[in-house]
Parts: sequence; structure tokens; C-alpha cells
Amino acid sequence: MAKDLVCGKEIDESDARAESGLTRHGASEVDPTKGTRIFHDGAWMYFCGLECRTKFLASPATYLEQA
Amino acid sequence: MDTAPREKIEMDFGYSPEQEALRDEVRQFIDDYVTDEVQDEIENWGEGGRGPLVRELYKIIAERKWVGITWPKEYGGQEGNRLDQYIVEEEFSRVGISVGGAGSGAPAILAAGTDEQKKEFLPGLLKGEITLALGFTEPQAGADLAGLQCRAVKDGDDFVINGQKMYTSSAHYASHIYLMARTDPDAPRHRGISIFLIPMDTPGITVRPLWTIQSDPRAPSKTTYGQQRTNETFFEDVRVPRSCMLGEENQGWYVGAMGLNLDRVGASRYLISVRRDEDIINYIKETEFDGDSPAQDPAVRDKLAELWIEAQVCRLMTMRSMSLVNRDVNFTYEGSAEKVWAPEHGVRTTETITQILGPYAQLLHGSDEAIEDGLFAHNVMGAFQSGINHGSVQVMRDQVARRGLGMPRG
Repeated sequence: MAKDLVCGKEIDESDARAESGLTRHGASEVDPTKGTRIFHDGAWMYFCGLECRTKFLASPATYLEQA
Repeated sequence: MDTAPREKIEMDFGYSPEQEALRDEVRQFIDDYVTDEVQDEIENWGEGGRGPLVRELYKIIAERKWVGITWPKEYGGQEGNRLDQYIVEEEFSRVGISVGGAGSGAPAILAAGTDEQKKEFLPGLLKGEITLALGFTEPQAGADLAGLQCRAVKDGDDFVINGQKMYTSSAHYASHIYLMARTDPDAPRHRGISIFLIPMDTPGITVRPLWTIQSDPRAPSKTTYGQQRTNETFFEDVRVPRSCMLGEENQGWYVGAMGLNLDRVGASRYLISVRRDEDIINYIKETEFDGDSPAQDPAVRDKLAELWIEAQVCRLMTMRSMSLVNRDVNFTYEGSAEKVWAPEHGVRTTETITQILGPYAQLLHGSDEAIEDGLFAHNVMGAFQSGINHGSVQVMRDQVARRGLGMPRG
């Protein structure tokens, strides 16, 4: 499990990445209710949704220091 | 101010008899082919309205040679007049069908693509068989596009891509993504970027839907910026050959900016901003409230006349941009100025719509009392988006200041 560094919620990475279908031309599609992520400093970080991710991006150092 | 001498030409804003005949031909085609079934698909099919009937229609439109009219003949174009393309785009845009330049990717491929890339992409783009999702914006770098962090790292003859893109609006039905990624993190930020054309079924690409305020209730098809779905797209160890690169390595910023600039020239962009006032003017002319026509109200007439005048400025700016492009004049800040005026005119239009229609301007699709199926309320919601998409008005003003007024980079 990964931890959302903004709200503290636990995120199941495999759920967030699980294929829920395919796009018309064959890309994997995921369920948007299972969280989102960002590639930050060479690693994927997980968030419960866009609101927490946006807060993190506004001040990454703040949340990384608190972690 | 740009004071370089330019060739003076006679100004003529009319259409030739041949162009009027072309418009009539397109209108007749629309009457014949855009049936109720096609309209229903445009309205309800979740892939930007591109269901089976519309996809077939794109092929027929391409057979008529109404797409890529200005493109070289060897790639399916006619080396024709940009104004002809404008006329075709204008007529199809009014029924919710986007034809013409195939987004900002096509002009970039025409300018920077290899012969192989032109042969691979351009005919397919004309027929609607190839669709490019724009992969430029990132969560931390929206208006500040050059701040992008998506990385493409060279590995032998390949590049390995990690990162993500936001608002990849057509990613769920696109065949390829037109991706901007950083290939040299040590270079000045505009100079370490490259562009790739990547098939969507490449392993490691994942699409996450983002539903917009227009999705529930869904916007009527005539809504400008009524898009119900956009996406974010993730790239995780996506390996692509060098042949996917468009243009020179680390020169992608310039290729991408040129494509965006040229994509702003034409009827589609113009109509995005002026269709709202055409809709409200037509509605007011045709309707009555308690037996009285609102068109007789001096305050309403004043407001609508003002909108029409502003719309003519949009049209003239569009025509001027097309004229510059047609004459191969270096086209830098003119499109940016147009991209400020037109969306902000669109926002002013929504203010007028709200003043004239009052509470009716708030009733969305599905409401029993909604006017025109909620079109005006959905247009109000969509208007603010056009000041952000394809370059925010703040970024466009900065370009006018630097390139038009000769001011230093801020």
C-alpha cells in the first residue's frame, strides 16, 4: 500500500493501476475512483484524487518533509 | 512593434463566385448526409461523437477532397486556398463536425516530419483513420508548458518515456499521442524538449478518465466547449524507437509551438468564440415572451449589436492570420492576439446571455424549462474554458508583448 502524503489515506497501488478496460486503440484504461499518481523525482507517488495531488504539486517539499 | 516591411495587398473580404459555389455544395452535402442518425451519434457517442456513421462520413468528406485542402497533393491535399478550407470548416463546424487541419499535429508533421512520417500519418489524418491526442500539458506545467517534466531517456536506438500528461482529451479514442517530452534535462528549458508520435497501444501507456462539468447532465452537441470527457495519460517505461521522433532531437519546443500557432488559424477556432452570439441572436429574433419580441427591446438590441460588432473583429483577425499564412509571412504574435480577443469575447457573450435570459440561462439539459435543450447554460459553463485551452490568454498576451511590442522576456 502507498500513502497519500497530503490526506494520509492508504492507496492500493495495484487497484490504482488495474486495467478496467481498453481505449479504442488499445491503451489500458483505469478506474478513476481508485486514485491517481504522479512520476516525481524518478518514482511514482500515489494520491486519493486530483485535489490531494494538486496540493502536493503546489509544495512538494512541505509534504515530503512531513512524510 | 514589428516594423519589418510587408508586401502590401489589396484588401477584399468577400468570397469569389467559386467559393460561394463551394459553400453551397458543402451545405447541400450536409443536408444530404448529416441525417438525424448522424446527428444523434454526434450528440451521444462518447468518443467525441465519432461513432461508426461519423467515421464513415469522414471518409466520404475526405474523398470529396474537403480536408487538408492546402496540403501537398502527394499526401492527399490539393495545394489549394486556405479560404476554401475555411469555408468547408465553417459549414461543418455548425453541425458539430470538425474537419480541416486535424489539430496542431498535422501542421507540425507537414513542417518537420520525415517523408516516411508524412506518408504514414497525413493520408490517415485526412480520412479520420488516424487521430492524434495532444500530449503537452502536465499537472505541474499547464500554462507554463516549457516546465514539463515527462522524460524521454535515450537507450540504444530507443527512447524510454516516464511521466504523465493532463487533459489528453481524445486519448480514449485516439490512435496516437502527439507527445512533448524532455530529452535533455540539463539544457535551457525550451531547448531540451523533443516531440514523439506514439501509437496508443504501446505497452506502458495508461489512460485515466476525467469527467467534466459538461458530463452530467451532458451538454447538447452544439455547445462550444461542451466536451464531456477528458483524460490524464500515464507513461511508464514506454519504449519507442527513434523513428517516432518528430523533427530534430531537443528542437521539439519550436515544432510544437509552430503547430499550435498554425492550428489557431481557421474557422474552427473562430467559430468556437462566435457561435454563442449567433445562437443567442437567432433565438432572440425567433422568439416571443408573452406576445412581445425581445428583439424590440432597445437594451437587448444594443447588447446584441455590440456582440455582433465584436464578432466581426474576431472574423477579421482570423482572415488576417490566414492571409499572413497564405503569403508565408512570419506569423508570430498575430495568432496570439486573436487567441486573446476571441475567447474573451466568448466570455463577454455569456455575460450578455445571462443578462438577457435571466434564470433561463442557468437551466441545464434535461430541465423541462430549459431553452434550446439547455444550450445557453452549457455555453456559459464552456466559455471560460476557451481562455485556457491551447495557450492561456495570459501566455498569449506575453507573446504579443515580446514578439509584437519587442519587450524582453519577463
